[in-house]
Amino acid sequence: MSESIIPESELEEVELYHAKSWWTEKVFTQDAKLIAIQYGLTAFAIGFVALVLSWFMRIQIAFPELSIISEGTYYQFITMHGMIMVVYLLTALFLGAFGNYLIPLMVGARDMVFPYLNMVSYWTYLIAVLVLFVSFFTPGGPTGAGWTLYPPQAILGGTPGQESGIILMLVSLCIFIVGFTMGGLNYVITILQARTRGMTLMRMPLTVWGIFTATVLALFAFPALFVSAVMMLFDKILLTSFFMPALVEFGENLTYGGGSPILFQHLFWFFGHPEVYIVALPAFGIVSDLISVHARKNIFGFRMMVWAIVGIGALSFIVWAHHMYVSGMNPYFGFFFATTTLIIAVPTALKVYNWILTLWRGNINLTIPMLFCLGFIVTFLNGGLTGLFLGNVIVDVPLSDTYFVVAHFHMVMGIAPVLVILGAIYHWFPLITGRMLHEGMGRFHFWVTFVGSYLIYFPMHYLGFIGVPRRYYEMGQTEALYTSSAADLNVFITLAALAVGFAQLVFIYNVFWSAKKGIIAEKNPWKATSLEWQTPDQPPIHGNFGKELPVIFRWAYDYSVPGAKDDFIPQDVPNEKVKLAEGYSELGVEKT
Amino acid sequence: MADQAAIDDNHIGRSSSHPLPRVALYVLMAVIGVLFSLFSVAYIGRMAYGDWRILPEPTLLWFNTGVIMLSSFAFSRATINAREGDIKRTREYLLLAGVLTFGFIIGQLFVWRELVSFGYFVSTNPSYAFFYLLTALHILHLFGGLIAWLNVTYKSFIPQKETSDFSLKVNLCAIYWHFLLIVWTLLFVMLLLT
Repeated sequence: MSESIIPESELEEVELYHAKSWWTEKVFTQDAKLIAIQYGLTAFAIGFVALVLSWFMRIQIAFPELSIISEGTYYQFITMHGMIMVVYLLTALFLGAFGNYLIPLMVGARDMVFPYLNMVSYWTYLIAVLVLFVSFFTPGGPTGAGWTLYPPQAILGGTPGQESGIILMLVSLCIFIVGFTMGGLNYVITILQARTRGMTLMRMPLTVWGIFTATVLALFAFPALFVSAVMMLFDKILLTSFFMPALVEFGENLTYGGGSPILFQHLFWFFGHPEVYIVALPAFGIVSDLISVHARKNIFGFRMMVWAIVGIGALSFIVWAHHMYVSGMNPYFGFFFATTTLIIAVPTALKVYNWILTLWRGNINLTIPMLFCLGFIVTFLNGGLTGLFLGNVIVDVPLSDTYFVVAHFHMVMGIAPVLVILGAIYHWFPLITGRMLHEGMGRFHFWVTFVGSYLIYFPMHYLGFIGVPRRYYEMGQTEALYTSSAADLNVFITLAALAVGFAQLVFIYNVFWSAKKGIIAEKNPWKATSLEWQTPDQPPIHGNFGKELPVIFRWAYDYSVPGAKDDFIPQDVPNEKVKLAEGYSELGVEKT
Repeated sequence: MADQAAIDDNHIGRSSSHPLPRVALYVLMAVIGVLFSLFSVAYIGRMAYGDWRILPEPTLLWFNTGVIMLSSFAFSRATINAREGDIKRTREYLLLAGVLTFGFIIGQLFVWRELVSFGYFVSTNPSYAFFYLLTALHILHLFGGLIAWLNVTYKSFIPQKETSDFSLKVNLCAIYWHFLLIVWTLLFVMLLLT
């Protein structure tokens, strides 16, 4: 076997930043791992607020006679719930938290390439969250325009938050986008330029590929939201008419005129569709890695998985108007976008097949992360299939603005990526804290969340079929539109939602309890091959890898390699150091 | 396969041989380019409506365009001098570039004043609104560049270490200024033609 001779590195390592005071070490930290935890805690805090909002919404729908919240409040809650969950929780968690923690570790870098910018990006994100949160306490409250913020109604009377809520929402989004551009630069440049020796792009784990592609998408898609937010702010504050047509309000002609609400929709969804892939692609990457580790098998078709991620990312920019079939736009546009939407289903389906084929004949350990992965595959498949209905123009017409859409996007965005986030936390908790999460609480959490979420959203599709509209504060007594069976189903869904909500409280308790009292994890408890588990310390300390950076000799999926004694070979172990099984002269070669 | 593995083992870990700050600037320029392209698309789409009015172009705009071209030129000279090690000349050109940039920004503000005095307000007409919006955005990006300019000009006053990347920083400022000049030229042409 040939010895791999590694020449001296021609590059000098970038000097690692060392904090000089408690403030710069713990608060204004520039260490990506700590920044990741800051992002994660902030995202979960604001996400919890959005979760509580959803409880109120569900109680209002199921028990309208209670009038637990008023109509205006209901619209404010759906808006804030939607915007917080999509942007401030999911995007921030996948890119800010998982990206910051895992990217340097998985590519073999000591930290992100621009640590100061990284620190500024977190504090910018926090300011954006606070500006949004403050809108709950201003006169008029937060905006009730729907997370899609469609003009002209978003800035007109009759919509809650007209006084200041909409302005705070738009300003908060602008601040968020500036922060995420800074963060995005870090993730992209670190992955491109700061990998360790031997780490080619095709040896990076799929988690990194997913987050990388999502970051590129974010860098190109967020400007569209920025453009629409700035123009809407101008319309609101400076009374321009970018989006505002000639209007009469309460009998009075407004000074607006000639604007195009459809322009906003195009700009918003040019951002909005890549946004859902910004949430989905890191989930795809993470789930591929979790399945490999917990099934002790290399991911099936790694190269195609990479190309599918890149392909989905590229295609996501040409499907946006499938959110606009009923907007009154030219039907030929609809035809074009329906075609591209069907095309994007192809690489997505390829990924699902490859996950199944990875599990096939794998040594499946039903650990909690694996359970969450299996839950992801099932819910994503379900949600993706309903997307095929909605992606076709004519089928979308009766289903648009009904609960079918709500069920679809909660399945693909709400349950599936969240199951991945939860599974990822169970998987990487031992790395981050050095302790394992409590097993009993974890299994309870998984089963209630998974089964409960299905009980919430599967029946909801039928509500959509029979035409129950979305964004209605209450359905009223019309038997033709809203049957009593639909009302009963809504009660059932609400009870399931509250049960799932309770399970999340158990999870939060588990996280804080186990961080202090959990079983001390052995080094690399899941026996994973990727670099983040090969650090000298667990949890990894500042600088990640000790004196010498690792050198990479293989991809991240050498599980159950024929001829190896262990069922995994870490990425930084050269062939000559691999322990061979009895009867093998080298990897894959039996002794004759 | 083993040969490819041996080649991969020796991979240096970088996708580009450019230094880190240059790669970062290229990515940033791509993002800013997307931003201005989207605004342009919105502008062109909006133009199709009947209430579009043509905004008169004050002569000052042409003068401002000349000023920003000169500032780009000053940055080029600064780059060349920095590469040759002539810090004194570099410092002079950097200061000139900064002064010219501030001149451009003030000039733009005067253009706004002139238009407002003729009654062309931001809310009068979408064509005017776009003009104010696009010029404001361009100025904001110049301000961002001025932060980097401040840093590099400060560095030009203090003695540099052997391994410092001063000349790279000057070069990157120059590239960013040329980029904003191209953005301004495209915006200006678009505003002129409509």
